[in-house]
Amino acid sequence: MAQVRLGNIVKHYGDSIAVDDVSLTVEDGEFVALVGPSGCGKTTTLNLVAGLLELTGGTIHIGDRQVNELDPKDRDIAMVFQNYALYPNKTVYANLAFPLQMRKTAKADIDRKVRAAAASLDITHLLQRRPRELSGGQQQRVALGRALVRDPKVFLMDEPLSNLDAKLRVQMRAELKRFHQDLKATIIYVTHDQLEAVTMADRMAVMNHGVLQQYDTPEVVFNAPLNLFVAGFVGSPAMNLFPAEVADGGASLLGPEGWRLTLSERNAARARRATGGVILGARHSMIGLHGEPATDRIPGRVYTVEPTGDITFVHVRIAAANVIASVGPDIRLRADDAVWLSFDQNKLHLFDVASGQALRD
Amino acid sequence: MTARSDGLLRRIVRHRADYLYVAPALGVMLLVIGYPIYDTVYLSFFNTPPNLALEDKIFAGLDNYGRILSADSFHEATWNTLVWTVFSTFFAFVLGFGAALALNREFRGRGLLRGILLIPYVISAVAASYVWRWLYHSDFGVIGAISVALGFTDTPINFLDNTTVVMPALIVVNVWKEFPFAMIMMLAGLQTVPDHLLRAARVDGAGTWESFVHITLPHLKGVTLVTVLLLLVTNLNSFTIPYIMTGGGPAGASEIWITHIYQLAFGRIRFGLASAYSVILFIVMMGLGYFYVRALTQGDERRGG
Repeated sequence: MAQVRLGNIVKHYGDSIAVDDVSLTVEDGEFVALVGPSGCGKTTTLNLVAGLLELTGGTIHIGDRQVNELDPKDRDIAMVFQNYALYPNKTVYANLAFPLQMRKTAKADIDRKVRAAAASLDITHLLQRRPRELSGGQQQRVALGRALVRDPKVFLMDEPLSNLDAKLRVQMRAELKRFHQDLKATIIYVTHDQLEAVTMADRMAVMNHGVLQQYDTPEVVFNAPLNLFVAGFVGSPAMNLFPAEVADGGASLLGPEGWRLTLSERNAARARRATGGVILGARHSMIGLHGEPATDRIPGRVYTVEPTGDITFVHVRIAAANVIASVGPDIRLRADDAVWLSFDQNKLHLFDVASGQALRD
Repeated sequence: MTARSDGLLRRIVRHRADYLYVAPALGVMLLVIGYPIYDTVYLSFFNTPPNLALEDKIFAGLDNYGRILSADSFHEATWNTLVWTVFSTFFAFVLGFGAALALNREFRGRGLLRGILLIPYVISAVAASYVWRWLYHSDFGVIGAISVALGFTDTPINFLDNTTVVMPALIVVNVWKEFPFAMIMMLAGLQTVPDHLLRAARVDGAGTWESFVHITLPHLKGVTLVTVLLLLVTNLNSFTIPYIMTGGGPAGASEIWITHIYQLAFGRIRFGLASAYSVILFIVMMGLGYFYVRALTQGDERRGG
């Protein structure tokens, strides 16, 4: 296993910029998720690490070696593809043996390693079958096995779970995480599903428009998003974001709908740093719903109520803006009830409208 | 499940609209293919007079077949047909596949080259045959003149009037004419090789050659089979090039089945004999056709399963 270091990597396709000056280090044995909406450059970044695409600029190191000019086969990586990319004319055994065979491994060694990998993934009984005779989950395991047999320095995974049904995905997610823990493997994992990133990765790199937005542990990314994009992308349902003006020298916020919210000392200090307006960000769990007004509450009206069993999401309209709050399942609210929203001031997010960046202490 | 146990008639009634749609095409095929086949088989059992008065024909049972199968001319034509078909198919396929591999890579002028390589295929076979006859001409032919100028031979080679050279000379023309077909088929096949498999193979350590052997070739198995079978059928049925260029000569050295049948039917007006000959060819073609359909539908079953 090895560390992977991306230094200011750039990838252009003609005039369009797919990856724009991305630098990040994946530590030895770390599980890093590259996450972002489609077209954000995450898969391109992965293919650059794999060597399937050529860099326009920057450097990539795997371990101590700079691999910019190396062929994929010389980078000592293994890759798991979204559609598994199993060789359709080969048996499962031959699929697993292929990377070893290409490296001129001795026959006895190949057999030993293939059987070991198959045993660890519980696919020994499938070895003589062909890929088309396997279920999606089984194909997924074979693809993983083919990556595993060679004991590579880095595993690259390109949305490996996105072709599975929801139930199987949850199961494979757990298996992948366990796989990482058991092997202490360095894994770079691309996904558009922020939930996969949050649940599995040691650190997640959020990308948008080819630019790295934030690279940190899921806890930090979730609790302290650096900018509006990350705030809106990570977490489900998405963070509530609504614009406001700074009033009373920072002591309170004035909404375009006419509400006024008194800020805590710490938040007031942040708000004063704004160059113009601010955007208020609050996750559903940080919003309280009340029956009476107060100075730190915003009036609204219940739009609709979504009970999910253990938690109930309440959509509240503040004039035209929609806010999602959550309450316990035993709280009964009905559409068009008048409510007042309060915010946990310790977990309130403030962003500068002009730059989109979080306002920090 | 129940449909299978129903009688054919009831099934036709239930799906009458479907059958109605197929009916016109079926009717035309019965008329222009079904009836001639029937009539040919029927005629093959008769001795026909050497004129168009077919009502004077005499039933002869399997005599025509016996005469054909024991005739030296049949064995010679069969041998020629085999040589013609096997070599034409082999070289057309190899050349076409090579051209397809070359055209499958990105390079400047690829579109132009593809266009140029398609020219033989789109040129009329009759026109091409006449042009090649001039190229091969023993006195005025360009090929002969060039080989003399370059010192390969002292006198121009007599390509088409020489019993040993005529067959290879015709095969060259045929290969030139039909290799673009193999090229198009294989190029289409090459373009469907899944990119993710090639990338997976690259990551797994395969070089260009290994990727070709392990990914590309297996993927091309189906299209290769279909292309070769179609070439075989086309070549077994060849008529234009040998008929125009040599008419089967000299001394039957380039006589193949179809030109021979034509000669029997319309040269010597032996319709009964020619019909029996055609039936033999028909049986051989049906055998190839069976493999062709199987090659085509095997993929369907695989996809369906």
